[in-house]
Amino acid sequence: MGESLTKKLDRVFNPRSVAVVGDKQALGYMWLRSLSHFQGKVYSVQIDPNELPGIAQLSVKNYLSLKDIPGPVDYVIAAVPRAVSPVIVKDCIQKNVGGVCFFTSGFAETSTEEGIRLQEAITDLAREAGLLVIGPNCVGIYNPKIGLRHNPVQAYGEGGTVGFIAQSGTHATLFTIAGTRNGIKFSKSVSYGNAAILDSTDYLEYLKIDQETEIIGMYVESVKDGRRFFHCLRDVAERKPVLIWRGGESEEGSRATASHTGALAQSSVVWQTLIRQCGAIRIENLDEMIDTVKALLYLKPATGNRAGLIAMSGGQSVAIADTFAKAGLKVPLLSQSSYERLSTFFSIIGGSYRNPFDISSSFLMSENAISNLANMLDVMEQDPNIDCIVLELFTIISPFSQDLGKPDPLLDTILEFKDRTKKPFLTIVTTAHSETLAVEIRDRLTGKGIPCFPSFERGARALKRLVDFYRFRQEQYLN
Amino acid sequence: MTSKIIDNVLKSARTVLTEVESKQLVAEAGIPVVETKLAKTKAEAISISKKMGFPVVLKIVSPDIIHKSDIGGVKLGLANATQVGKAYTEIMAAAKKANKKADIHGISVQKMARPGVEVIMGMSKDAQFGPVLMFGLGGVFVEVLKDVAFRIVPLNRRDASQMIREIKGYPLLEGYRGQEPANVTALEDLLLKLSDFVDKNPKIKEMDLNPIFAYKDGALAVDARVILES
Repeated sequence: MGESLTKKLDRVFNPRSVAVVGDKQALGYMWLRSLSHFQGKVYSVQIDPNELPGIAQLSVKNYLSLKDIPGPVDYVIAAVPRAVSPVIVKDCIQKNVGGVCFFTSGFAETSTEEGIRLQEAITDLAREAGLLVIGPNCVGIYNPKIGLRHNPVQAYGEGGTVGFIAQSGTHATLFTIAGTRNGIKFSKSVSYGNAAILDSTDYLEYLKIDQETEIIGMYVESVKDGRRFFHCLRDVAERKPVLIWRGGESEEGSRATASHTGALAQSSVVWQTLIRQCGAIRIENLDEMIDTVKALLYLKPATGNRAGLIAMSGGQSVAIADTFAKAGLKVPLLSQSSYERLSTFFSIIGGSYRNPFDISSSFLMSENAISNLANMLDVMEQDPNIDCIVLELFTIISPFSQDLGKPDPLLDTILEFKDRTKKPFLTIVTTAHSETLAVEIRDRLTGKGIPCFPSFERGARALKRLVDFYRFRQEQYLN
Repeated sequence: MTSKIIDNVLKSARTVLTEVESKQLVAEAGIPVVETKLAKTKAEAISISKKMGFPVVLKIVSPDIIHKSDIGGVKLGLANATQVGKAYTEIMAAAKKANKKADIHGISVQKMARPGVEVIMGMSKDAQFGPVLMFGLGGVFVEVLKDVAFRIVPLNRRDASQMIREIKGYPLLEGYRGQEPANVTALEDLLLKLSDFVDKNPKIKEMDLNPIFAYKDGALAVDARVILES
């Protein structure tokens, strides 16, 4: 990537001034409200007199043209009728703005003559002038640290290490808000729609060198230059984990892509090959994106695929072992010395400790619940046959303190172990009778930085992806 | 680097290489391929077989006949000069019967290769990502079970190593029920040579090396098929 493009992208990803063109009541002033915590200057451009009172109510200064704004504008968000878009591009060029994101749709993705013509028009104008265009047909940039958002629900104030690149605006919005709820903090995210000028590869190259970004997620339907994407991905994935969710994998899905972002149908097998060959991580839906990023952020590097499983009851211990084995992980017996140690405190009446552990009698129904659990976790930690540790927590008989204000010895024990363990460690809290209670417990764990998954399946798949990722890395260094 | 074989075929306004041309091209890529010579007469076929040593295989060579064995254009395990002469006559008759207008270059003569584990390597072009290599076990494994792995060109050693181990039938290459194990490193070498060759020859559109016999001490391409970009 050329130095000048990097500089230009730096300017639009970290703007000091943003102008929104065409925000209106019908959108609920979504754009201006999204910028309510932006740390720089916010301007509105709107010529419809009916919209002006609503804009004034948000305490945003309105202008009749971009060119009337005093001082520089780094980033423009345009939500204008598509026919007006070439005029906006011309104004951006005259105003010398860094880049413009077109929320406006109705371009090449419609496959109509008018849409294709307009997209070509804005592309030609912008390319000649060196103006960056994000989209069209997208929601553009999210940079939480400076409060640059595209949805008022998105978090702001604190940045993180996860970058996200999405062809779809909805996926960019959903992943950033659901991710935040799951303890994922973002450096930058971008939705790029029709990719008229900047394509996924440009953003990938940018996040490759972006020092704030350590993990990169992508939602991609198609790429403009497959060879360039292949070489870029191979290079990036050697430095930072890259997760790729390819939309339109099924024949049904690729029909939907053709009408969604003007993409052509592609061979899913070659895409899967590409992801595997480059050492990227293949993701199949939003939940997997969340779970796998969470695993990369919160779990220690995996050195093997042998899981030690701790479940709260007999039935659950069978189910968790089945699920982890089906996901491609091993559930081996422990070493002899572990069994000798377990026999000193673990009650096998109403319980079992082969692997998986059924800890109902030694935890749920024991006076020494906390110390027993701490000892079991330590047995797993010390055992040479075990690479990763999984702890199921109940919501039926919640072992957590019911009073949020009081100290919670269980939470403290888990937290202490999480900080101490050298092995990947995760918890699973399934829903029993109350989704609310399960969410409350998951939030409590997430708040302490303890990775928590909502089902055996999701925990197992995330762990398997983590194990595969680190194994590929290891093979890479051996070769 | 451009291949004279490719230039000559394109000059004659063809895109499908004959077996003999395909094998010459594969040999140019540095891939061991079973020695194959073109005979234009019965006497030539007999004299080539004698030099190679029996048993031999005879196959029709014509750009107009693609499915050679379906029309009786292939004779295997010919043990002496008499059998070779008879096979030559029969193949020519079968070819003319199948397609009167076929452009017949002659008949290829090759030594029967020592049997090994049958594998297939191939190349095709993806509209998005360009040349892609395929690896699999030959015969029923590729045709019915589609147990194959792909990698995008150019491959590195890790790619070659991983793609071979990715197929479900990989244990068969390690020696199964007393069968001789295949030399996997030699197969990796072949994939790397193939990758390098197609990378340097963008005029190749599709390639099949099917079968390749994998042995304990190497590998040998037994048949090849190459199609050029039009």
